[in-house]
Amino acid sequence: MIMDDLALERYFDDSIANESSYIGEEELGLQSPQKQPHASSSKAQNSSQLSNGTSGKLGDDLDLSFLPDDLNNQSSSSTAAAATNQNAAPDALDDSGICLDNSLPDSGATELRQGTVDLGQESRASPFCPMTPMTPMTPMTPVTEKSGIIPQLQNIVSTINLGCPLDLKFIALQARNAEYNPKRFAAVIMRIREPRTTALIFSSGKMVCTGAKSEEQSRLAARKYARVVQKLGFPARFLDFKIQNMVASCDVCFPIRLEGLVLTHQQFSSYEPELFPGLIYRMVKPRIVLLIFVSGKVVLTGAKDRAEIYEAFENIYPILKGFRKQ
Amino acid sequence: MSAAGLRCPGCGSSNIVDDDLYCQAQRVCVDCGSVVSEGSLADDPIGGSDVSYSRTTAVTKKPCLNLIKGLERVKEICRILRLSSEIEDLALTYFRQAYVHESFINVSLQRKELLAGCCVFVSCGQRDWPITLGTICCLLNADQTLVGGVYQEMMKVLNIQAPFINITDVIEAHIQEYKISAQHVPEELAEESEALTKRAVALVELAADSWIVTGRRLLPIMMAATYLAWQSLNPNKHRIRFPLSKFCQVAQVQKRTTATVRITELKQALCKLGRELPWIREAVTENNVVRLVEDILDHRHTLLARALKNHEKAKQDDCTQTDSSNPLTGEVAPSQLSESRDETANASSRVQPCPQNSRENPEGDVDDDHQGEDLEPNWGKRVLFAPPCVIHRKRRRVEQPVQNVTGDEEISDSEIDSYIRTPQEVRDFTLMQNMVSVSDSGKA
Repeated sequence: MIMDDLALERYFDDSIANESSYIGEEELGLQSPQKQPHASSSKAQNSSQLSNGTSGKLGDDLDLSFLPDDLNNQSSSSTAAAATNQNAAPDALDDSGICLDNSLPDSGATELRQGTVDLGQESRASPFCPMTPMTPMTPMTPVTEKSGIIPQLQNIVSTINLGCPLDLKFIALQARNAEYNPKRFAAVIMRIREPRTTALIFSSGKMVCTGAKSEEQSRLAARKYARVVQKLGFPARFLDFKIQNMVASCDVCFPIRLEGLVLTHQQFSSYEPELFPGLIYRMVKPRIVLLIFVSGKVVLTGAKDRAEIYEAFENIYPILKGFRKQ
Repeated sequence: MSAAGLRCPGCGSSNIVDDDLYCQAQRVCVDCGSVVSEGSLADDPIGGSDVSYSRTTAVTKKPCLNLIKGLERVKEICRILRLSSEIEDLALTYFRQAYVHESFINVSLQRKELLAGCCVFVSCGQRDWPITLGTICCLLNADQTLVGGVYQEMMKVLNIQAPFINITDVIEAHIQEYKISAQHVPEELAEESEALTKRAVALVELAADSWIVTGRRLLPIMMAATYLAWQSLNPNKHRIRFPLSKFCQVAQVQKRTTATVRITELKQALCKLGRELPWIREAVTENNVVRLVEDILDHRHTLLARALKNHEKAKQDDCTQTDSSNPLTGEVAPSQLSESRDETANASSRVQPCPQNSRENPEGDVDDDHQGEDLEPNWGKRVLFAPPCVIHRKRRRVEQPVQNVTGDEEISDSEIDSYIRTPQEVRDFTLMQNMVSVSDSGKA
């Protein structure tokens, strides 16, 4: 289809907005962190990141000539300080950005802690405050903020191996919360109330646990199922617990022009209103499938880790903002 | 002649000749006369020729009969739709490609027919001659879900880009189906398809702006637009009273039930714009808006701008009014607001409430929330145009947020025991099962 000029402009504005969001970042480290290779240059404001020697990379994009010479000294001395102090968390100072924990405030706090420690090393007070963002050198569009929306997990699917063959008929007989219909499906379907989940237990001893709203809940639920099977007399163990899929959803609270989105992101999107009302967006990095609806609700699925979901949403949010009704 | 390399088992001589006895081949030793070997039919596959049945009987590999039938079906569909030869060739290529793939070679004939339709659909889209999937469904007389499934599978197999169908391209073809021109119906009901198309396209664009089109199926909207266009081209009493079902009967098209809903939505959008017409004195309702459609469509953009401006002004007036009337709400509002945001059963949680203000689509001030919206802040009710699924939001079951779970907690025995049957229960259950199975076999 032929893209009209307006859509073309919006598309370019999008990509520029994307880029500038990496170059100019706001100060709060409490946002959901981005695991992007560009993020290293964007975290330049934090002296902890500067101490990494990413200043070389910075120099390519930004003109640092206005900064005092102290800064370079500060960075070199901080490196030594950082190395000795922060050997506990080397991943956090990686080029790829902040190390992602499951809980966001922690990573934010670590970042801030590192920042303050580094500052403490310097006896001279630097006139440059590392927390304020540097002026972006290419201010084509205003710097886009982080979305401020956190996708909520709705469903986690995990598998575990109980490590012993099971007699499904016996389990179905002895357990109150089990159903077994071998003609329909070759597994026992068991449910527990807290956390509200369902498990498929196979005769090989493998089990699938679905319905939990967080990784910890899924793990707890799987342990409970294993305990039930144990109580029934089988030598069940708890092996190879692995999360296979995570589904999350959120609401951007503005309507989205799906027709425009499918035109500009044709390689990733599939929108067939005759078949399904939502647009299916297959993101490449991270490999997540997003269902985007006209109401602004977004469903993200296919993740093995919570961080992938947050990253995918932060990737799609600026794109969606571009398709808000103007 | 002598067969080299063979030795007679009897005398050891190598003087062996081929001496056929009638049709049976034999090798006989010249010196002692014993038969060294004879060609036997029973031995043929082992020692003899290894040519398979298909190699000997088939002269050339003939294409599968169903493939030929499928290709014929593709050509048929193309002829019915009067498509160009370019599209027909493309469709045939796609069909051949998809047919031999493992997902389509062993499926039912019905699915192969659907595959033919889908190939035509894709080729049309790629060559800038858009038709809807609904048309293909009608032609194949198949369920849209089934066709959809085959279509998705085919796209995966062929690995091509799905063409996006724009509704304004398709509506002209859709209107051609309606037999509502002067030669088919009496004068007072007739409309020429050009005028009808023009009016319907404008209505569809208006619908698209009002979020009625995105995410919805095309056919009901096109039907609604055609019906309203027909009504508004000559809005006399007779036509306005003419129901949709009768219209479809007259035009000889099949009525879609969701078209009535779309008509209502479209009329609502028209009303919102109709109110801005400066020369209208009485209230604009869905009953009398059809007369104004022509004027509304002519001045669509101006009316839209005015409507949005007035809406924004009205909201701001509302805010200042309630603020001045109730001074307490100013303090209550923030706490209520934080409460309502916390209790939100929305699927998302906000770390920072983002003030999403844009010139044309004001979400309203944050103060708006306390205006009786003790449920989730429904932004759809605060803007002039919003997708209907947002305005009529479903009430979600509020789930209690679970406390922080580490995953390694202690699991109490009593809880696990509650999931296991007591021995008495097991006995009762087995008894009951036996009784049920006995009675079942008795009945059967």
